[in-house]
Amino acid sequence: MDNGAFNPFKNAQTQFDAVADQLDLDMGTRDLLRLPQREHHFRIPVRMDDGSVKVFQGFRVQHNDARGPGKGGIRFHPQETIDTVRALAMWMTWKCAVVDIPLGGSKGGVVCDPHNLSAREQEQICRGWVRQICKDVGPIVDVPAPDVMTNAQHMLWMLDEFETLKGARYPGFITGKPVGMGGSLGRKEATGFGVVYTVREALKELGIRPGDTTASVQGFGNVAQHAVQLYQQIGGTVICVSSWDHQDQTSYCFKKDSGIDFDQLLEITDPLGGIDKAQAQDAGYEVLPREAWLEQDVDILIPAALENQITPHNVNKISKKVKLIAEGANGPTTPGADAVITERGLFVIPDFLASAGGVTCSYFEQVQSNMNYYWDKDDVLGKLDLKMTAAFAAVNELAKKRKLKMRDAAYCIAISRVAQACKERGWV
Amino acid sequence: MKSLRPFDRYFEPGTGTLSVIGSGEIGGKAHGLAMMQEIIDRDIASQFAPEIDVNIPTLAVVATDCFDQFLEQNDLFEIAYSDMRDGQLALVFQQAELPALLVGDLRALGEQVHSPLAIRSSSMLEDAMFQPFAGVYSTKMIPNNQPEPDTRFRKLVEAIKFIYASTFFTGAKQYMGATRHTSADEKMAVVIQEVVGVPASDRYYPHVSGVARSYNYYPTGHAKPDQGIVELALGLGKSIVDDGVAWAYSPAFPKSNPPYNSIRDILQHSQLKFWAVNMGPPSEYDPINETEYMARYGLEDAEYDGTLKHIASTYRARDDVMVMGTNERGPRLIDFAPILKLDHIRLNDLLETLVEVCEGVLGSKVEVEFAITLNGDDDDEQLARFGFLQVRPMVVSDAEVDVSLEDLEADNVIVASDSVLGNGVVNSISDVVFVKPGAFSAEVTTRIPPQLEKINGELIAEERPYLLIGFGRWGTSDPSAGIPVEFSQISGAKVIVEATLPNMDFQLSQGSHFFQNVTSFKICYFSIRHWTDHSVDWDWLNSQSPVVDTEFVRHCRLDSPLEIRVDGKHGYGVIRHE
Repeated sequence: MDNGAFNPFKNAQTQFDAVADQLDLDMGTRDLLRLPQREHHFRIPVRMDDGSVKVFQGFRVQHNDARGPGKGGIRFHPQETIDTVRALAMWMTWKCAVVDIPLGGSKGGVVCDPHNLSAREQEQICRGWVRQICKDVGPIVDVPAPDVMTNAQHMLWMLDEFETLKGARYPGFITGKPVGMGGSLGRKEATGFGVVYTVREALKELGIRPGDTTASVQGFGNVAQHAVQLYQQIGGTVICVSSWDHQDQTSYCFKKDSGIDFDQLLEITDPLGGIDKAQAQDAGYEVLPREAWLEQDVDILIPAALENQITPHNVNKISKKVKLIAEGANGPTTPGADAVITERGLFVIPDFLASAGGVTCSYFEQVQSNMNYYWDKDDVLGKLDLKMTAAFAAVNELAKKRKLKMRDAAYCIAISRVAQACKERGWV
Repeated sequence: MKSLRPFDRYFEPGTGTLSVIGSGEIGGKAHGLAMMQEIIDRDIASQFAPEIDVNIPTLAVVATDCFDQFLEQNDLFEIAYSDMRDGQLALVFQQAELPALLVGDLRALGEQVHSPLAIRSSSMLEDAMFQPFAGVYSTKMIPNNQPEPDTRFRKLVEAIKFIYASTFFTGAKQYMGATRHTSADEKMAVVIQEVVGVPASDRYYPHVSGVARSYNYYPTGHAKPDQGIVELALGLGKSIVDDGVAWAYSPAFPKSNPPYNSIRDILQHSQLKFWAVNMGPPSEYDPINETEYMARYGLEDAEYDGTLKHIASTYRARDDVMVMGTNERGPRLIDFAPILKLDHIRLNDLLETLVEVCEGVLGSKVEVEFAITLNGDDDDEQLARFGFLQVRPMVVSDAEVDVSLEDLEADNVIVASDSVLGNGVVNSISDVVFVKPGAFSAEVTTRIPPQLEKINGELIAEERPYLLIGFGRWGTSDPSAGIPVEFSQISGAKVIVEATLPNMDFQLSQGSHFFQNVTSFKICYFSIRHWTDHSVDWDWLNSQSPVVDTEFVRHCRLDSPLEIRVDGKHGYGVIRHE
């Protein structure tokens, strides 16, 4: 696979090796953790709407389940590769460990493009995926969830197939279900709110009052919207957000120096997070090019859209005023840009800590589903806040104690927790 | 407003830490405590240490921005300002969600604290300077002793939502009307405070709770109004503020008994029941009930708990005398004699000091609420803990009005009394609302408040203050002792008359929230004892044509206003028609 193209799994292993050196992990543990425990590769035959049969490639990678049942999404993507899935499964292990939830890391996928598939065909893929893997997943084995191009409907099809095969109700088999069908209240808000819980704690650490801060946010989808909403509730002012324009196939930034009106912007935003450019201009927003969010004179940057957004090419455009970057998206900062940010001494809340609110709430959903007893939203968000705050505190404390970057400290905590679990089980 | 330090998710009872959750205002009650904290720590605590540990019980205030956010995110404004019944409104509030930024702090608090908490209102109008909003909103006690943190968290959340809902209860809205405020003027902060008390059996309560006021409207014996009054009770302060049962004394004469004719009278009118937080098996689930986790117990329970030692005397029947303490067997009298007469602790000195300091800070006469626990070990250096719970200003009228005994006998007098609370002249009242003597009996007292409430609402809407006349103790929680009306149900009355009947004799209750409101609104309060020379001219009243005539209540509108004069110095008052 080494054809010169970016290999996410190799990248993940390099990252792991560096932290393993810092932790002085023994070779046995390194060997165990730098590769997945199990990989499932299988074929899913589907009778298409035109009567033909098409066979899709499916995966489930279970990186490590020493700390508990595996947890990770299922991606439907035409460019899906096993190395992407391996990298993401490993990343899930660290993410669950850093917020100290008793789950391991997994990831799955199907090489397909849902845009070109009817609902019936997608349903057949979902059911086929479960039929192939049902012996190796389940509420106490490995718990799937939605991911790229999969949603609550896909999860319900998969759940239904699993329960049919098992002959019983297992709502804890999968997460990301709709509320009322085994889903958890607060799941929609969890990732965005989780970002702001860590921002709030970081500001305490920096000795800055939230009410004195401004922020610029990349994205206006689910995560960004809830992050903006809660950040404003703690007193902060968002002056710029960006969003994808489907018509122009690029993103734009929407800026108002006095602070955006969240409710007003929401009214002119489509369900996929696209803000209506013309209406925004009428409402007094400056419409700026796609990278303008990065260049604003604000205290906080919250990349909450896509990976690889802060790169060596644009990192120097970050204003001198910026003090904090909270990575609400997965992998928004490339290693090259990260080095520059470190050099500048900015406080970074790394992605797998800042964005861990989602998986934490998925864990809560699974707990509720297993009990078949569902909590109030107050319960869910209260627990989420404590989990996120405790995770931030642990990472921050280690970073200060050992003079590490926040990202390295987070990895150290996560990897050492997993290594310890493997050791205590007698695996290594 | 005085600012508090941000809540750091550390809440340890007994440390006297005051902190705030959120970034809004902290409300009148919390503001008063914040003002006093430094003074108590700096100037007062050291004077009484180590004998008495004086502090403000640990608290965290949920600031008003959380209240705003709660209403906004749940779209509660329309419901809040509607005519929805209180119970229904409280249920809707229970179903709403608290702000995301609040629940983490509450969860942290609930996870570490295992002892009872008092969830109190601290609104912008309540207890603020010259704003008489005492007792309008709710306070909820929760035992907080459930083993599961989830349960403790949920109970705390329910209590906060209940306090939020109480902002919009009918009584509060009518109260707003009477004070020319609207609910929109109001913002609610919530105080989460440790309950000062001791665990005993399956209850939790202080040995002593009390109210000290620096002005006494009903001085007896040698006491002067300016010398103030203190009321003490066993258990939670609800006995004083709602039931009106307490041991009252003037701080100038702490060893004097109340002016009763005999020991038997004292025993009959003293405290026989006390309130405590129920720590035992959960009561019926009722999150919209203020007293869900409170229960009333008898003195025999306190005897069993061993909490009477320093607060009771014993009646020795053979000698017809009271003996201080509980060494002998016999009926107990909650008279606090070991404290007040034997100076077990320097409580009276402490109260005099506190009241004086509070007067200086607030620049007015004051009312202070407190709770005390006593150390079981008398050899210990520290004998008691004094929890300072609340301070609020009293409004005292100082106009010079002379009413002589002859005036009480003059022509056209419809009400005259030599026992009147208040001071001043009122010439603007043409509306009289009275409980019909022919229809009244102790059995119907609970049916009267709704009828009064309706007339009260109409008169408030017309902006017509009125004279209210009834029987028994107004605002009592005991239906056999008077009419159990909430103050909000008669809040438009400018002058109130209470008359006794042979079968309904009573004592006034100065410590109650009801009475605090009477004094704060400068309401003139006439007491007519059935055995005295003065009475109500019922014949004249009955001859007036009614505007409203219900089963128990009549409302008359006079052609010309009444002349009402109250001499606060002598306690004389007279009401005359033209």
